[in-house]
Amino acid sequence: MAFDDETIDVLIGGYMSKDAADDDYEAVLGSGGYLHGAVVVSKDLEGKLAVEESDHMVREGAEGLGAVGFVVGLFAPPLLAATAVGAVIGAATGKALHHKTESKLEEQVGATIPVGGAGLIVAYPHSAAGKIEPAVTRAIQKAVGEAEGHHVQALKAAVADAQQKLTEGGS
Amino acid sequence: MSEPDRTSLPIRRPPFQGVSNRTLDGSKPDWNLIGHPHAPEDAPNVLLVLIDDAGFGNPSTFGGPINTPRYTQMAEAGLRYNRFHVTALCSPTRAALLTGRNNHAVGFGSIGELSSGFPGYTAVVPRDCTPVPRILAENGYSTAAFGKWHLTPDGQQGQAGPFDRWPNGWGFDYFYGFLGGDSGQWDPCLAENQKIIGTPEGFYDKENPYYLPDAMADKTIEWLHGVRAQDARKPFFVYFSTGCSHAPHHVASEWADKYKGKFDQGWDRLREEVFARQKELGVIPSDAELTARDEALPAWDDLPDRLKAYYARQMEVYAGYSENADHNVGRVIDAIAELGELDNTVIVWIWGDNGASLEGAVTGSFNELTMQNGIPLTDEMQLQLVERYGGIEAWGSQIMDPHYSAAWAWAGNTPFKWGKQVGSHLGGTRNPMVVHWPARITDAGALRSHFTHVIDIGPTILDIAGIPAPSHVDGVEQEPLHGLTFADSLADAGAPERHTQQYFETMGNRAMYKDGWWLAMKTPRIPWVLTPDALRPYAPGVWDPDAGPAELYYLPDDFTQANDLAADHPDKVAELKELFWQDAEKYKVLPLLATLSAFFGIVPPLEEVSTVEYRGDVQNVMSGMIPRIYNHSYTISADLVVPAEGVEGVIVAEADHLGGFSLFVEDGKLTHTYSMMGVFVYRQQAEDPLPAGEVNVRMEFAADAPKPATGGDVTLLVDGKTVANGRIDHTVPIRFSAYAGMDIGRDNGGVVDLSYEAKKPFAFTGTVKKVAFDVKPHLSTQDEDALHAVARHGHAGHGLSA
Repeated sequence: MAFDDETIDVLIGGYMSKDAADDDYEAVLGSGGYLHGAVVVSKDLEGKLAVEESDHMVREGAEGLGAVGFVVGLFAPPLLAATAVGAVIGAATGKALHHKTESKLEEQVGATIPVGGAGLIVAYPHSAAGKIEPAVTRAIQKAVGEAEGHHVQALKAAVADAQQKLTEGGS
Repeated sequence: MSEPDRTSLPIRRPPFQGVSNRTLDGSKPDWNLIGHPHAPEDAPNVLLVLIDDAGFGNPSTFGGPINTPRYTQMAEAGLRYNRFHVTALCSPTRAALLTGRNNHAVGFGSIGELSSGFPGYTAVVPRDCTPVPRILAENGYSTAAFGKWHLTPDGQQGQAGPFDRWPNGWGFDYFYGFLGGDSGQWDPCLAENQKIIGTPEGFYDKENPYYLPDAMADKTIEWLHGVRAQDARKPFFVYFSTGCSHAPHHVASEWADKYKGKFDQGWDRLREEVFARQKELGVIPSDAELTARDEALPAWDDLPDRLKAYYARQMEVYAGYSENADHNVGRVIDAIAELGELDNTVIVWIWGDNGASLEGAVTGSFNELTMQNGIPLTDEMQLQLVERYGGIEAWGSQIMDPHYSAAWAWAGNTPFKWGKQVGSHLGGTRNPMVVHWPARITDAGALRSHFTHVIDIGPTILDIAGIPAPSHVDGVEQEPLHGLTFADSLADAGAPERHTQQYFETMGNRAMYKDGWWLAMKTPRIPWVLTPDALRPYAPGVWDPDAGPAELYYLPDDFTQANDLAADHPDKVAELKELFWQDAEKYKVLPLLATLSAFFGIVPPLEEVSTVEYRGDVQNVMSGMIPRIYNHSYTISADLVVPAEGVEGVIVAEADHLGGFSLFVEDGKLTHTYSMMGVFVYRQQAEDPLPAGEVNVRMEFAADAPKPATGGDVTLLVDGKTVANGRIDHTVPIRFSAYAGMDIGRDNGGVVDLSYEAKKPFAFTGTVKKVAFDVKPHLSTQDEDALHAVARHGHAGHGLSA
């Protein structure tokens, strides 16, 4: 299944620990739903960034999630004011997928993932939503964006849609 | 030598009985002049042990799940008291314990952090209520206190004193412990006598790390040996007041792991198990009824399965932590036995000062201070934060400051309702007591059910020692002791019950006890909830205490307060209500809720000082004494000397990674880290290294608005030029830490930024000439007043959890 066969959904989840993001990542991979890709980004307690992604994008031969850029919404305890989220969605330019993806992610995530926090980004065809979304159970905040069109543009638009929903509070 | 007059202290020097001629010719010395007051003959040693934040149903000695072999050993060779009472809060119980008087009457209607302008809430013991250790010391005892103090006002815990509010001022010859309401057990910020000595060097020893409970026992034994090395007969009074089992629940995993799987059945079944054992042991009557769970607490079976391991580990650690306290008290007892003095040492061992603590809320927390700062984290959030800091197996280690769920505390208070802060019910007011004194107790292992109260301990000790309560101390006429001796009950099971009437009041929760009847007047507020909605019903002009709920129990027939008789005995309800008001007037309990007055706009005068400067190597500024930087704009400016070869290290740091800030230099670059209770961590760093020579660095926090937890922008400047910008989205609204201090030129104890954990305390390699805080750069008077009120709210909130 190629990226542009149908509507693309992107789910973004925010976590207070990498363990929790990993749990949901594994659950998503084990859900049986078709994936375009899944990425876990995290910062350890010393502030070091880590990016781990599934190999789906490589399999697809597409540019992947990380290359289009994203912002993980910072989850905010409800008593406190909503956290501002701001970053620019980057342009995708192909080439060495993994390196490009990781550098792009590192550039953008560095400013948006809190120390000790983590984010999960999953892209999948809309038809797989029934399997993918219930697998994500530990996100403190999550949002699902969707878009149609050519795969890269659709992916970017879906990410943007998810980010927008996340800044509005997500679920 | 004739017996001195002990009713007026200090004991007067006896008149000279010798002869002083112009020369030594014919002169006769009187050697009594150079002696010191001696205790009455046969006055025994006293070891007074107080465990913190624990409940009636915690120790195995009273049927609980926590293995307490040393406590049981003392009980089997001594006596169990199963109707002993405390005040439902930390400082009030300690003040009553050490003065022999009702807590409000000695200024401790609330905790040491909360000095208030009402006589019962000053947190300053009046001079006409001289504490028992001072009386003992003046009468020839060696006195020492170890561990938790919590009787010094929050803002008086530095070099400026005044020291009459410190342990030495209460009559202890020696003190080793912490002044506040709680402490990390791995990384405490300690005081010794009249000096804050900070975090012990052993904290930095990875192979053999410092652990406060062990050190308390070591220091106590060392002190006992020192006293005996000098004087073989002088009786001692040791007050051994553990930080355990208060949060943070810190203990090595080998202690916690003894309880692996022991709490998987959950708190509901645990209560049933404990209740059954209590009956088997006979520490509660055979007809006692187990009280029901309040709806504020969830049923264990309703918890999601994925969270049960998280909750169970909380109790495993608490149990191991508590068992360790039993072990360390045992070491002190062994040392006394080795001295050959166990038979003539009265050991009074009270397991808990206010029932077990409900202050972890339902979820429990990886960081006890999240509750006090009003950060409502769900149990899933708490679990993820636990994972962030090492997972549930790290619960109990220094990386977290954990507090367990209120539901575990409720189980710890089996068979009673409620717990800490709830002065209206036995969960917060009845704790186990064991008395061991082989020289006098003849029916070892027996149970005593006399109604006794913490104010009775002092009078009982004085009675046993043969020392009268003084009528005057330092020329000040003394308020009579309020407590009553129960010394005769030690040797006589049939001794009369003298304590027949007692009021209780904590945070507006009240009770009146008289001749077996107990009127319980609990406010409907859930103890751990301090939201505006929860407090609104108690505002001045709104709250009518007499209109609130009242439950009536007859304790001789109802040990656990299971059967409310109020509807059947309205006259008794009215009588006890009136009696409460009489005692409240007499003992300075009024106005009710003085503790929470800040929430209703009654705050102390605003401090004038808006800039604070630290010169030289100032360290271990107690957390309650740092500049008022919360909730508004502030700046930190530091004058440095940077060596030509470059520099690194901490310029100024408050507390640790679970809440605090650090302005430091890493790789030569000015860096600022701000930890919002370990939930959010923000860092800003300059691009370029600091220049050599005299340098001024500055951190400016420009708050979005003067309001609690405000976000804001951070600017770092070097010699007036901006070198970094950043954002802090959430700030700490109330308090970074319960115990960790602020340091200039290093980051003592747990560090703020874990990136320099390996280099701790990461001392500055240049010179910090001066650090200045400006806490009022942009505020209007109106803003300042509003924030002052918020700060007092925070103070109250912190106090409620201390």
